[in-house]
Amino acid sequence: MDYSNLRRQAASMKKSLFDQGYLDEQFCQVEDLQDEASPNFVEEVVTLFFKDSGRLMSNIEQALEKYPRDFNRWDTYMQQLKGSCSSIGASRMKNECMSFRDSCGQGNVEGCMRSFQKVKREHAVLRQKLESYFQLLRQAGPAGAATRPVM
Amino acid sequence: MAFQTQGSNLRALLVEDIKVNRMILSQMLRKFQVETTVVQNGKEAVELFLGGETFDIVLTDNLMPIMTGPEAISKIRAMGATDVMIVGVSVDANSMEEFKDAGADLCVPKLKLEILEHILQETRSKKNKSSA
Repeated sequence: MDYSNLRRQAASMKKSLFDQGYLDEQFCQVEDLQDEASPNFVEEVVTLFFKDSGRLMSNIEQALEKYPRDFNRWDTYMQQLKGSCSSIGASRMKNECMSFRDSCGQGNVEGCMRSFQKVKREHAVLRQKLESYFQLLRQAGPAGAATRPVM
Repeated sequence: MAFQTQGSNLRALLVEDIKVNRMILSQMLRKFQVETTVVQNGKEAVELFLGGETFDIVLTDNLMPIMTGPEAISKIRAMGATDVMIVGVSVDANSMEEFKDAGADLCVPKLKLEILEHILQETRSKKNKSSA
């Protein structure tokens, strides 16, 4: 198997995630924390992110239904999701979370609903892209561990 | 619920409700060999201090369920824990004033390794001075 080609593909995939705005500099900060003692740290954090964000989005979905116009409650849940997105550099998701919070501040129910749909879409897309990225990294082997993209 | 990680030298209390943030910040502190206790809200932090636990540094988020970071800081300071370095961590601009009013030494929008290194150096200096 051509491991160097796989590593090039992984690097290219990561660069495009940055170029298309899915990820920002904060993801590099997470990568910098990976070391010999925690060789899979980045993937573990991302796995936790998708597990936890799934739960948070489910809470928000229920709150939108059960607590109509409870903007404070909606905003509190979304604030947690936004914090999580920010921590791993999930830039597009974070921006949609911020749009939702803006709509909460304006008391705009339709705006909240639209933003939430976008949050869900960005979540699904990012999940699929990062799953592909980590699968490629695993195929590329240990030397394919995270490196900073050329930006 | 509190759990500890291995380390030496400085003892840190991390107060953070978001799991991903806890994982990232714990790893940052591990990089600097800081012995870290992690709790999920301000009330758990206050309870540790009430139980006689001591820390060199507290790193706390602002908005958390049950008790916020600033509320916890006020209570910790009121207990007489004036020496412990307390750092508020929040991207929200309004949080800075809340943290400072509550008695935090510092407030940072985001913890990066370089910033944390500088804060820990400051904490070590402060600790060395007070034990001299």
